[in-house]
Amino acid sequence: MSGPTVKIVNIVESLLINNDLAAGRNQRRLAEAGVLTINVMAAPGAGKTSLIVRTLEALRDQARVGVIEGDIAGSVDTERVLAAGARDAVQINTGGNCHLEANMVDRALTELDLSQLDLLLLENVGNLVCPTHWALGEHLKLCLVGAAEGDDKPVKYPEMFAVSDVIVLNKIDLIDHVDFNREFFLESVRALNPGVPVFEVSCRTGAGIAEWAAWLLAQRAALGGAAATTEVA
Amino acid sequence: MHELSVMAYMLERVEGHAERLGATKVIAINLVVGERSSFVDDSLLFYFEMLTPGTRAEGALLNLRRTLMRCHCPPCDTDFHPTGADFRCPRCDTVGQVTDDGTELLIESLEVVT
Repeated sequence: MSGPTVKIVNIVESLLINNDLAAGRNQRRLAEAGVLTINVMAAPGAGKTSLIVRTLEALRDQARVGVIEGDIAGSVDTERVLAAGARDAVQINTGGNCHLEANMVDRALTELDLSQLDLLLLENVGNLVCPTHWALGEHLKLCLVGAAEGDDKPVKYPEMFAVSDVIVLNKIDLIDHVDFNREFFLESVRALNPGVPVFEVSCRTGAGIAEWAAWLLAQRAALGGAAATTEVA
Repeated sequence: MHELSVMAYMLERVEGHAERLGATKVIAINLVVGERSSFVDDSLLFYFEMLTPGTRAEGALLNLRRTLMRCHCPPCDTDFHPTGADFRCPRCDTVGQVTDDGTELLIESLEVVT
């Protein structure tokens, strides 16, 4: 009889493969329903909810938009987005977790009627580090940054800017008051993610929102699917 | 604090592999963790110690192999490690282009007793 043996077994797979698999299932479900889904990531206070509200107002007559609000606690944001014209909104309280995970989104999706939506905005928990690793099933990752946070955010949080499909720079109305060096910011963004679209907006004044909303609609049209031609009643 | 979730997901996966391999005990878990993950070694180890009691990985070594972020400078045709202040080449000051180095987040291998 041989005794216990020690083996080294090669695995070579992502630490987060179980989340990645769940995210893949979410994405297939959303794509089949023709719902373009955006993972909205930013630091606390960058203006995630404000951007979502502005986007809802801009798209009110052009697309049916749902919102999933991820927050550590509370439901204030859900009430705000419903008042701004969201077709539906679901709150996920992460109970202290610093990011959304695919299985949380899976549960939230069961509470939405996807056939009634063209777009879904997932508001992640305010954080520039943790959400980068957790795929949710989104089609696009959005990194939102406020000018008042400083022009060094891409250098300090490179992965967030490297993985994003679109970057929105908010609070441009403050840019001259907060020593924000736009050239340095853009140079760092390009080093991490050449060609990524960057929209400059102010959720306070509404500047740049129309361009951002038009881009989002074009992404929705590119996704295709049955709902792409749906007229909004 | 995302290290807690990451360790919980990893452990779930490791337990699955141990089961599949018929292992009675996991003695080492070898990870590759890129600099770009922003994971803190001490936090990973802290949560690992917290989560493993009662599992097959109790008492296992958690080995972390670190990889560094790199940028490529086209004029110099070399790669460099960014300073943390900007992404400019330390030799010629050209803005570099980030490479895929340092993005790894892998379970590379397991050492198990069968």
